[in-house]
Amino acid sequence: MSESINQAPVKVAVRNLTKKFGDLLVLDNMTFDIHRNEFVCVVGPTGCGKTTFLNCLTRIHEPTEGDLYIDGVPADPRKHNISFVFQEPSAMPWLNVQDNIAYGLRIKRLPQAEIDRRVNQILDLMGLQDSRRKYPGELSVSAAQRVIIGRSFAMQPDLLLMDEPYGQMDVKMRFYLEDEVIRLWRELKSTVVFITHNIEEAVYLAQRVIILSNKPANIKETLTIDLPHPRSVSDPRFIEYRNYITDKIKWW
Amino acid sequence: MTDKAKRQRIRKILYWGLPVLAILTVVLAWVLFSASHPELMPGPVAVWNRLLRTFTKPIGRINLLGHAWASLKRVLSALVFAWAFGISFGILIGWNRTARAIFGSIFEVIRPIPPIAWIPLIIMWFGIGETAKVLIVFIGTFVPLVINTSTGIRAVDEINIHVGQVFGGSRFQILTQIVIPTALPHIFAGIRTSVSSGWTTVLAAEMLGATAGLGSMVTKGWNGGDMALVLVAVITIAVVGFILSTLLSKLEKVVCPWNN
Ligand SMILES: Nc1ncnc2c1ncn2[C@@H]1O[C@H](COP(=O)(O)OP(=O)(O)OP(=O)(O)O)[C@@H](O)[C@H]1O
Ligand SMILES: [Mg+2]
Repeated sequence: MSESINQAPVKVAVRNLTKKFGDLLVLDNMTFDIHRNEFVCVVGPTGCGKTTFLNCLTRIHEPTEGDLYIDGVPADPRKHNISFVFQEPSAMPWLNVQDNIAYGLRIKRLPQAEIDRRVNQILDLMGLQDSRRKYPGELSVSAAQRVIIGRSFAMQPDLLLMDEPYGQMDVKMRFYLEDEVIRLWRELKSTVVFITHNIEEAVYLAQRVIILSNKPANIKETLTIDLPHPRSVSDPRFIEYRNYITDKIKWW
Repeated sequence: MTDKAKRQRIRKILYWGLPVLAILTVVLAWVLFSASHPELMPGPVAVWNRLLRTFTKPIGRINLLGHAWASLKRVLSALVFAWAFGISFGILIGWNRTARAIFGSIFEVIRPIPPIAWIPLIIMWFGIGETAKVLIVFIGTFVPLVINTSTGIRAVDEINIHVGQVFGGSRFQILTQIVIPTALPHIFAGIRTSVSSGWTTVLAAEMLGATAGLGSMVTKGWNGGDMALVLVAVITIAVVGFILSTLLSKLEKVVCPWNN
C-alpha cells in the first residue's frame, strides 16, 4: 500500500528515540514525523511501548537517547498547548465534574467567562450537564472517562494526545465520540495522536496509521488511509485496510 | 410486606436499638454497683447533685463551665499553633526530599515518645504555668499532624501529578492544586487525632498542677475523697470530647465532600 507525501510542516519530530527502564529496552531508536493538522493513530501489540512513547513526548519520562521536538523545539508541556487523555482513570477525585473539566483552563489562567463558556459547551457535548456537581467517585467508568476526555477537549489543544481513550465505552458512545474527535480536529485544525487497540477504530479515524512492532517497539509500517471522512465501516476498501493492518500486527 | 423489606426493618430497629440498650446496661450496672458499694462509687443521683453544687459552690471560685473552658482554651491555643506548624512541616517533609532527609530522622526518634513523657522535662524548663501546659499539649498534637500530613502528601497518585505536568502546571501549582488536595483527608485524620490527643494531654497536664481546668477538678476530688466530683469531671470530659469529635465530622464533610 502507498504512503503519500504530506506537505504540511512537521508538528512532532521523533529522532532516534530510545527508552529503557533499567535494562528493559522499550522504545528502540524510533525516528518519524507527525505533520501539522494530521490525525495519526498508533496501533501495536499490548505492552509494546505505546504509552511510553506518549510519556516521553510529554516529558513524564525522559528519553534514554534521542529526542522529541514539537514545532522544532525540544518537547516541553509548559511551552505548547498539549492535552493528554490518559489510559488510566485520571480525573481529580476532589474536584467535581465541572471543576475537573475546567482544571487545565485554570492552570493556563483563562478569563473566567471563557472558562464558563467552554465548560458548559463540554458538559453538553459529553452529556454530563446533569452530573456537573458530582464527584468522579460517584460516576460510572464511562462517565468518568468522558470527564477526562472533556477536560482535554476544553483545552482546544493544538496537539491532542489520546491513549486508548474509548476503551471503556459502549459501542454507541464510542461511535459518537469518534465523530466528535474528528469534528474537534477539523474545527481546531489540531494535530491528533490517537492510540488504540481497536483496528476498526484506527481505520475509521486516522489519516495515517503507525503500526508498531512487538517490544522493543519500532515502526513496522506507516499506512496512509486514503478514504474521505466520514467513513463507512462496510465500505470494501475500509475492510481491506482493516484486514491488512490486522495481518500486520498478528504476533502469534 | 416482602421478606426483604421485613429483614431490613428488623435490621434498622436493631442498629438503632442496640446502642440504646448498651447505654442502658451500663447505667443499670452503675446503679446496682453504687447501691451495693456507695463508698466506692456514688450513684447517678449523687453525681447529679454534685454537679449542681459546682454552680452554687464553685471550686476555686470557678464553676463547672469555667473549668471546662479553662481546659478547652489551653487545648485550642495549642491546637492553633500545632495546626499551623504541624501541617506546614508535614507538607515540607512530605514534598521536599532534602527536608525529609534532614528532619525525617529526627522526627522518627521523637515520634514514639508519648506526649505525657515530656511533662517532667517541660515543667523543669518552663515551670508549671500556662505556657508549660500549652507547650505540652502542643507537643502532643504536633506529632500526629506531621505524621498524617506527610503520609498524605506522599500518598498522592502519580497520575494526577502527571496530569498537572502535561497541562503545563508549575511545581507550585502542582503542590497546591494537586498534592495538598489529595492529602486533605489524611490531614483531616491528623486534625482528628490531634484534637483527641490534645484533649487527653491537657487533662494529664492539669492533673499535675493547676487551679483551673477539668484535670484539676479530678485531682481535687481525688485528694479530697470526693468521688462524686471526680465522676462529674470525667463525664464532662467525655461530653466535651464527644462534642469536639462531632463538630470535626461535620467540618470534614464540608472540607472533603468527595471523601464519603
Ligand atoms: N515506569 C515504568 N517502569 C518500568 N517499566 C515500565 C514503566 N512503564 C512501562 N514499563 C514497561 O514498558 C513496557 C511498555 O509499556 P507501555 O505501557 O508503554 O505499553 P503499551 O504499549 O502502552 O501497552 P498497553 O497496550 O497495555 O497500553 C512494558 O513492558 C512495561 O512493563
Ligand atoms: Mg498503554
